[in-house]
Amino acid sequence: MDTAFKGEHLLPGHLGQFFTILAFGSALLSAISYYFATTNKFDNSWKRLGRIGYYINTVSVVGIGACLYYIILNHLFEYYYAWEHSSRALPIHFIISSFWDGQEGSFWLWTFWQAVLGNVLIWRAKSWETSVMAVVALSQAILATMLIGVDIFGQRIGTSPFILLREAINLKESAPIFAANPALYHNYLTYIKDGNGMNPLLQNYWMVIHPPTLFLGFASMVVPFSYAIAGLWQKRYTEWIKPAIPYSLFAMMVLGTGIIMGAFWAYESLSFGGFWAWDPVENASIIPWLILVGAVHVMIVYKNTGHSYFTATALVLTSFVLVLYASFLTRSGILGDTSVHAFTDAGMFWHLVADVVIFLVLAVVLLVMRWKELPRTKKDEETYSREFWMFVGAVFLSLSCFHLVVVSSIPVWNAMFGTHMAPPTDPVKHYNIVQASFAVVVTLLTGFAQFLKYKKTAITKFLATTIVYLALAALIAAVIVYVTGVYKLQFVFILIMVGAIYSILANGKVLIDALKGKFKLAGSAVAHIGFGLIMVGALISAGTSKVISENNTGEQFSDDFVKAKNNPKENIILYKNTPVQMGKYLVTYVGDSIAPPNHYFKVDYKVMDSAGKVTQEFMLKPNAQANLKMGLISSPDTRHYLFSDLYTHVTYSNAITIGEGTPEAAHDEAEDDKNYDAPVAYEVTPGDTIRFREGYIVLDSIGKMDHIQDITLTDKDLAIGAKLRIVSHNKTYAAEPVYMIRSNNAFDFSRKVDDAGLKLRFTKVLPQKHKIEITLYQQPESARKWIVMRAIQFPDINFLWSGTIIMVIGILLSIFRRNKELKPE
Amino acid sequence: MKKSSIFGLVVIAIAIAVIISVYSNSSTYGSFKDAQSTATELHVVGHLDKQKQLFYDATKDANYFSFYMKDNKGEECKVIFTGTKPQDFERSEQIVLTGAMKGHEFHASSILMKCPSKYTNDKVEITEFKAKQTSI
Repeated sequence: MDTAFKGEHLLPGHLGQFFTILAFGSALLSAISYYFATTNKFDNSWKRLGRIGYYINTVSVVGIGACLYYIILNHLFEYYYAWEHSSRALPIHFIISSFWDGQEGSFWLWTFWQAVLGNVLIWRAKSWETSVMAVVALSQAILATMLIGVDIFGQRIGTSPFILLREAINLKESAPIFAANPALYHNYLTYIKDGNGMNPLLQNYWMVIHPPTLFLGFASMVVPFSYAIAGLWQKRYTEWIKPAIPYSLFAMMVLGTGIIMGAFWAYESLSFGGFWAWDPVENASIIPWLILVGAVHVMIVYKNTGHSYFTATALVLTSFVLVLYASFLTRSGILGDTSVHAFTDAGMFWHLVADVVIFLVLAVVLLVMRWKELPRTKKDEETYSREFWMFVGAVFLSLSCFHLVVVSSIPVWNAMFGTHMAPPTDPVKHYNIVQASFAVVVTLLTGFAQFLKYKKTAITKFLATTIVYLALAALIAAVIVYVTGVYKLQFVFILIMVGAIYSILANGKVLIDALKGKFKLAGSAVAHIGFGLIMVGALISAGTSKVISENNTGEQFSDDFVKAKNNPKENIILYKNTPVQMGKYLVTYVGDSIAPPNHYFKVDYKVMDSAGKVTQEFMLKPNAQANLKMGLISSPDTRHYLFSDLYTHVTYSNAITIGEGTPEAAHDEAEDDKNYDAPVAYEVTPGDTIRFREGYIVLDSIGKMDHIQDITLTDKDLAIGAKLRIVSHNKTYAAEPVYMIRSNNAFDFSRKVDDAGLKLRFTKVLPQKHKIEITLYQQPESARKWIVMRAIQFPDINFLWSGTIIMVIGILLSIFRRNKELKPE
Repeated sequence: MKKSSIFGLVVIAIAIAVIISVYSNSSTYGSFKDAQSTATELHVVGHLDKQKQLFYDATKDANYFSFYMKDNKGEECKVIFTGTKPQDFERSEQIVLTGAMKGHEFHASSILMKCPSKYTNDKVEITEFKAKQTSI
C-alpha cells in the first residue's frame, strides 16, 4: 500500500538510501579487489579497481552525510532522525551536532573518518597499500552494513538514518485520530510542526567537538591493526612496525584527547559532580586506549631491539578488537541498567557481536597460522635494560585494561553464564583502588626506565641516579601530600603521588638533556611529564574535593534515619536573599535571570575578613532548563581559580516552572492574582512611602504618558503613569503601573517586580484628595523562592587539564620524530 | 627458570587477583527480603508504588526523600534517599536501588531510574542519582 502523503520530501531520503547501499557495495568491491591485488602482485588492474572502489565509497559516505544534513537543516521532520534529534529552535551549531546525537550519526562519523584515513593510506602507504587497504576496506564495508537498514529474510540489517517518521513510529497507534480518519493521516505532516530537539544537557559546545574527536580516535585504530594483519599475512613480520608507529601515536593522541574532552564536558556541564565516574560508557573509551598505549611502547621496543615482537603484534590486534567490543558494549543495550548513558538495543545486538567476532577471528587465525614463523629472540632481555621495563609497563597497562574489561562486562558475563552478579555497590571506590595500584607501577616505570639504556646499562650508575631521584620525588611528594591533604586518603594514593612526581622529575631531566642537543628525545619526555601531571591533578582534585554545602539541619524524620548517620548531608536550601555561611563563603541566592530556554539562578558568593569587610565576591549562575518535553534539567556553574575550582549545582527549586517563557505558560490575569495574598490599596501622593514585608516603595512622581508599549494612544485617551521606586534587600527596582481612560472607560496596566515578589496596580485617581490609589499584591511567604543546591570545591584540577595539553604536545613531537625516521626508507 | 617465565607467572597471579577482587567486590541483585537478612549493601530492582505518598519537602529537609517501592517479588518497602527528589521520579517505570535495610526502611545510596521516553515507545531513558559525592 503505497499511498502518497502530502508534503513529504522523499528525494533526499531515497538519494541517501542509495548512497548507503553504494557505500557498502563499493567498500566490498574495494576490499575484494585489494585482496586480489595483494595476491596477484603483477596485475595492477586489481589495485586500480580497489582504489576506484574506495574512492566511490568515500564519495558515497560524503553523500550520505550531505543528504542527512540537508534533511536536518531543512527541518524535514518526515524523517525520523531529524524529528528525533533536532528542532526548529536549535541554533545552527547544535543542529550540526544533532547529526551525531543518535546511533546512526555516530556510525557515520566513524565511517567518514575511516574513509579519510583510507585515502591518506592510498596516498602514502606505497608498498603496503594493497594489503593494508584490503583490511581497511573490509572494516569500511562492515561499518557500512550498520547504516544500510534493509530487510533480509525478515531481519533488518543495520539502522538507516533515512527511515521515515511514519515507518519508525506507528502514528495510527500513537494518535488515534489518524486511524479514524484516513484523510487526516494522509495529511499527517501538517500536524508534525517541530522535532523533539536535543537533550538540553547535550546543548553544549563540547557536543560539537567531542564526538568527532572521539570517533577520529576510534577510527584511526584501524590503521595499526591493518598494518599488523598485513604484516602477518604477507609475512613481512619485521617491516610493518616502523610505518605503523606514527599512526599508532596519532590514534593514541586523538583518542586520549577525546577521552579527556569527555571528562571536561562531564565536569563543566553535567551533574556528575566530578570529571570521571567510571561509567561503563567512559570505560569503553579508555579500554582500547590503555592497550594502545601499551602497544606503542612495545612497538618502539621492537624497533630498537628486536625484542617483544609477539607482544607488539598481539597488543595492536587486541586494541582494535577492543574498540569494536566497546562499541558492542555501549550500543547493544547489554549494559541495561548498569549505565546511565548507554544506547538501548536498536535491534543490532548480533550484528555488533558479529563485527567483533569477524575481526577477532581474523586476528587469531592469522596469528595461529604464522605462529611458527614469528620472529623470536632466543636471548632473554637484560634485567637492566630499557626494553625489559618498557615491556613490563605495557603488560601492566594491559592488566589495568583487563580489570576494566572484567568489571564493565559484568552484564555480559551474566548473559553468557546465566549468573546474576551486580556491579560493586560502590563502583567508584572499587575502580579507584584497583586502578590506582596499576597506576603506581606504571608511573614509577615511566620514571626509572628513562635512566636505563636499550640493551644494557651500567648498573651502579643506574642505581645511584634512580635512588637519588626517588628520594627527591618522595620528598617533594611528601610536601604536596601534606599541603593538599592527600595523606588522609588510602596509602596507595600517596604512592601514586610519589610515582607521578618521580616520573615528572626523571622525564624533566631527559627533557633538559634533549634541549641541550638530543632533541629527538623530547617528545616522549614531554608526553610522560604530561601524564604525570594528569595523575597529580586527578589525584588531588578527586581525592580532596570537598562538599562545602554541608547541611546538618533538617527534620529528623525517624529514629532509623537519625541512626543511619547521614550527616553531614550535601544539599542545602537557600531562601532568596537570605545569606547562608558555607565554609569561608557567605552564599546568597539573589535572584533569577531568564533567557528562554535557560533559567539562571544567581548565587552570590562573598568572602569576608575578620573585620567583616568583603575581600572577594563573585556570582555563579548554575542554570536549569524547564523543558516542556524533557522536564527539568539542570547544569552546574563553576568558578575557576588557578589552584581550585568551585562547582555549584542546583538540584531543586520552586522558582522555576515547567515550560516558562513559552506561550503555553502565559495565563490570564484573574488566575495570576491567585498567586498573591489579598491585595491592599494605598492612597498616596508623590513622596509617600508604602511599606511591605520585604522593603518599601516610594512614589516618586505621577506623569502623563505619551505611549504605552503595544498600545497606540490617540488624543482622546488619557494615560497616567506612577513612577515607583521599590527598595528590597538593599536593591532598588523601578516600576511604572499605568492608569488609562479611553472612551469613558478606565483601564489599568499592572507591573510586576518578580524579584521582590510584588505586583503593583495603579487603580484609581482621587482628584479631590489630590491622591492616587496604588494596589499592592504581595506573594505569600510560603511562595518565597528557594533553591536547593550543592557546592563542591575541586582543588588543583588544572594540573589535570594542563597535563593533558602537555601530553598531546609530547605525542605530537613523537609523531614528527617517528615520521622523520621513515624518510630514508 | 627464565626471567620471562617468572614474569609470566606474576602476570597470571595478578590477573587472578583482579578477578577475585572483582568477584568479591561485586554485589548481588536481591529483594527487600534478602536485604532484611544481610547487613551488606545490595541492589534491589522494582517499581514505584504510585498509590502511596512520595515525600519531599525541601523547606523541612533538603536531603530527605521517601517513597514506597515494590520489588520484583511483590514485596513493598519504604525507601529513604538522602538527597533531593530526582526530577520526573513519578514517571519512572523501573528503579534500581543500591543500599541496605535499616530497621523497616531501606536506605538507598543510589537510585537508578528508567523512564519511558516522552515521545517514543522504542527508547527508554536511564538516569542515576547518588546521595553523596563520590570520593576515592
